[in-house]
Amino acid sequence: MQDQFQGRKYVIQGLFIVTTAILLLKAVQLQLIDTSLREQASANVIQKINKYPSRGLVYDRNEKLMVNNKAIYDLMVTYDQVKDIDTTKFCQLLGISREVFIKKLNPNFASRRYSKSKPFVFLKKISSETYARFQESLYEFPGFFVELRNVRGYAFNTGSHVLGYIGEVNEKHLKKDPYYQSGDYIGISGVEFAYEEYLRGVRGVDYVLRDNLGRIVGSYEKGERDTASVSGKDLISSLDLDLQMYGEELLQNKRGGIVAIEPSSGEILAMVSMPSYDPNLLTIGRGRGDAYTTLARDSLKPLFNRAIGAQYPPGSIFKPVMALVALQEGVTEVNRPISCRGGYIYKTLRIGCHGHPTAMNVSQAIQHSCNAYFCQIFRDVVDKNGFSRASQGLDVWTDHLYHFGLGKRLGSDVPNELTGNVPTSEDYDKMHRKGAWTSPYIVSLGIGQGELLITPLQMANISATIANKGYYYSPHLVKSFKNDTTQIPLKYRTKHFTKIDTSHFRPVIDGMEDVVLAGTARIAQIPGIKVCGKTGTAENPHGADHSVFIAFAPKDNPKIAIAVFVENGGYGSRYAGPISSLMIEKYLNGEISDARKYLEERMKNANLNK
Amino acid sequence: MTTSRRGESNTADVDWMTISIYLGLVLTGWLMIYAVGYRGEENSSLFDMGTRHGSQLVWIGVSITVGFVIMLIDGKMFRTFGYPIYIIACLFLLYVLVAGRVIAGSQSWFDLGFFRFQPSEVAKFATCLALATFLGPYNANLQTFRNRAIAIGIILLPMGLILLQGDAGSALVFSSLLIVLYREGMPPPLYILMFTMIILTVMALMFDSTFPIILGLTLVASGILVNALRTNRPKIIFFSFAVAALAVYNIYPEYELYVLGTTGLVFLILLIQKLRSKRRQLAILLTVGLVFGSGYTTVVNYAFYKVLKPHQQDRILVWLRPSKVDPLGALYNVTWSKRAIGSGGLTGKGFLDGNITKLNYVPEQVTDFIFCTVGEEQGFVGAFAIIMLFLLLLLRVLFIAERQRSKFTRIYAYGVASILFFHLLVNVGMTMGIMPVIGIPLPFISYGGSSLMAFTVLVAVLLRLDSDRLSVFR
Ligand SMILES: [Zn+2]
Repeated sequence: MQDQFQGRKYVIQGLFIVTTAILLLKAVQLQLIDTSLREQASANVIQKINKYPSRGLVYDRNEKLMVNNKAIYDLMVTYDQVKDIDTTKFCQLLGISREVFIKKLNPNFASRRYSKSKPFVFLKKISSETYARFQESLYEFPGFFVELRNVRGYAFNTGSHVLGYIGEVNEKHLKKDPYYQSGDYIGISGVEFAYEEYLRGVRGVDYVLRDNLGRIVGSYEKGERDTASVSGKDLISSLDLDLQMYGEELLQNKRGGIVAIEPSSGEILAMVSMPSYDPNLLTIGRGRGDAYTTLARDSLKPLFNRAIGAQYPPGSIFKPVMALVALQEGVTEVNRPISCRGGYIYKTLRIGCHGHPTAMNVSQAIQHSCNAYFCQIFRDVVDKNGFSRASQGLDVWTDHLYHFGLGKRLGSDVPNELTGNVPTSEDYDKMHRKGAWTSPYIVSLGIGQGELLITPLQMANISATIANKGYYYSPHLVKSFKNDTTQIPLKYRTKHFTKIDTSHFRPVIDGMEDVVLAGTARIAQIPGIKVCGKTGTAENPHGADHSVFIAFAPKDNPKIAIAVFVENGGYGSRYAGPISSLMIEKYLNGEISDARKYLEERMKNANLNK
Repeated sequence: MTTSRRGESNTADVDWMTISIYLGLVLTGWLMIYAVGYRGEENSSLFDMGTRHGSQLVWIGVSITVGFVIMLIDGKMFRTFGYPIYIIACLFLLYVLVAGRVIAGSQSWFDLGFFRFQPSEVAKFATCLALATFLGPYNANLQTFRNRAIAIGIILLPMGLILLQGDAGSALVFSSLLIVLYREGMPPPLYILMFTMIILTVMALMFDSTFPIILGLTLVASGILVNALRTNRPKIIFFSFAVAALAVYNIYPEYELYVLGTTGLVFLILLIQKLRSKRRQLAILLTVGLVFGSGYTTVVNYAFYKVLKPHQQDRILVWLRPSKVDPLGALYNVTWSKRAIGSGGLTGKGFLDGNITKLNYVPEQVTDFIFCTVGEEQGFVGAFAIIMLFLLLLLRVLFIAERQRSKFTRIYAYGVASILFFHLLVNVGMTMGIMPVIGIPLPFISYGGSSLMAFTVLVAVLLRLDSDRLSVFR
């Protein structure tokens, strides 16, 4: 049979020849025409040099610098370029042993993380001093180069819980956000964590070509791929540095917390948790790991932020809220007198009270902190729809508390905020039996005890909400960004309203004023300032009760709302009340009047940690 | 003329030219492997099995011996056992698929203890034999659908099995056997269609969205319609419109929808006008082509950028859109490979003096990227020599193919040429950045006993069959 397709052999020959010609032309282009490749012939490494942006600084609300940046250095090495090194001199300059040198220079090259031809970290976190010595001789050590990093420095030993710290990214961070690269720093807690995206800035990168002695011989692709780094935004925090430090001083040698909020904005003026630690201990550097371990093992738990992480039954400081709920639900009137026969008595149930004149109205009930009064009005709320429909009444009460920010996170920017606990009708249905419980079972909720738990931050927020007569902003630590028009997140500019009419606040606030003027907290009086407050004593089954106080001032135009709690401090008027009033005085007047210096001394010197 | 001349009498008919080229390439390859491993101060023996050049030297010896043994086998063996060999090769593939050792991400090695081989290498040889066996008989042809399907099936079976192992590079090699089918009469429109698809695929991958492609296709289709008109004025008007549309698209990309809409409208008007006149066929063909092209590119584009994982995308992006790839990541090999070749200049840095080659900047330097060493140390002169040597080999094999009276040998020879051609194009192309990085070796030159042995067998069998050319009439 004739081979009719014989002609096709020419097509195939043509294909082979043309293809070969294309390969040759490409070789001509690479080897003869494109001189850029040859000019850089001596360059045998493209290296990516990270340009780390300086992290945003943190100021207090009066623009005093709280957190600054310190330079440290990471020494990098490219294995294949290391040659003819005077190891003795090298080790001496860096203060490391020969064994360390050999170990660091020979990581596990079998692992994908390391390559002999790509740079890896030889020694991390070299101080500026060591760097200064080493840098002069750097040229003698081909293959080594240095990357500048910023770590944190703290001008004052204060606010460590709030400011937080930064650390190296871990696997989880890397997976979650593609921005990060191994070795990057990231905010781990506090403001550093909450405002990471604002503070971190944007990393830049240079691609450079190095020769086999590690010298830079040019930039890769004429620098077209290089990007500039962008510094992080400087953050003006809501904290008042003086007030913060003063609070820490007052609370020294005690366990407890202070939260002060500016009611009109929700800005946190001070957040103290004692015991604390020096923030400089946890800055990135050699020896940080040990410091962390020591702190973590300390039985006083200095790393624990009590202001948002501790939950207590609020005790009597809850009474103003109880009064507001009862007034709003119309189950009581402002001028309703309720007799107190030494406590609240119902059948065999008895909740004690202390001796005081009969409360003729809500204000007086708050002033004298009458347990009988609040047990009664609590039952009135719960039994609103009838004694047998306690769960309906309790749901109403619960819903009001949610609107005060209780039983849920306030949405603050302090990481790891706890929710506290507001018991619901379902909880009691589970605990007893559906429909098997009635208002007397749960009456202690009316005086802030029982299953009710709240955090100090929530306490301060209640105070701010009453000061605002019915609304609050989620407490936050950020005020603005320095020299930058970036607004703080919208959620901190949004009002949260309670379900209480403004008119109901007047008698409650009057009652809180009387607490200070003529009630349980006369010690909190400040000459010339109308302070409204409420003492509380949180029951503690494990030891002495906790001393609690909430307050705001001045009465007519509140500038500060505060909550103080002192563990094992006993009555609210013993420690929490005085400390609150000193904080208020300090913030509003800038100093403590001579007449109250004795109180300041007494608080500073009190030691409950013995 | 059916007397079989065996043994010593064959030497006269052996194609010494092919053998010379073969030896030249193998020797060059060994020198390059030696150069990569050479560290100056070391003084190891050339035959040290611990070194790569040492072990390669042993393999060269073994391969040549095997080649020699093949020359002694009766050529009829290959004609008779074409199918059995093919079936055994496919069974091997199936076996490694189930039980193969995982190396470099794909399960493709068969371990005999003293020696590991890749069944895909055997499959290349076996598939050439099978094609020759199927199409070799006097009355076999590619004029029926059934025969075409079987021929393509013979290629697809091993290809699919290798693809399942995850070795896309070796699988793609088999597509080169379509050249053999072309030579034996496969209809050209099939190749035109395939070529078009390849072009469309590449285009679809070149852009983030298929918008510019659809715009371009619409303009081209409209242009063809306009061109069919007799008068010149509409052509000029259309040309101006096309230029304007492209300009607007480039300057104001946010108006892309309007640009495409207008262009589409122009096409529709032209289309309606055509449909009314007599040349309907062209209009319908263009419409179908346009719709198919747009749809196909969109699907490919979507699948690539939205479905594939970034590291899978990178392999292609390195080739088509290097600016989108991390230069220290996926682009690293190719960048260094190009830099090594480019730094060689005209005459190279000299044997053993390639510093990029030495510093291991190019991973897989001795296997897939061996051409870098040629480029760096021997410069353009060396690269030219190697490429020309390969071209010479390819043309020689084609020449051998065409001088056969036996269709069997011709088909087999075309198979050998096609496979060598594909390896050359892709391997050398990828080291210079004009082909995607799919790891296939450069025949005879790359380090690796399995590959060298396979190519040696491929060529040796061809020489054995060729030496019978005078005695076999079929
Ligand atoms: Zn009472």
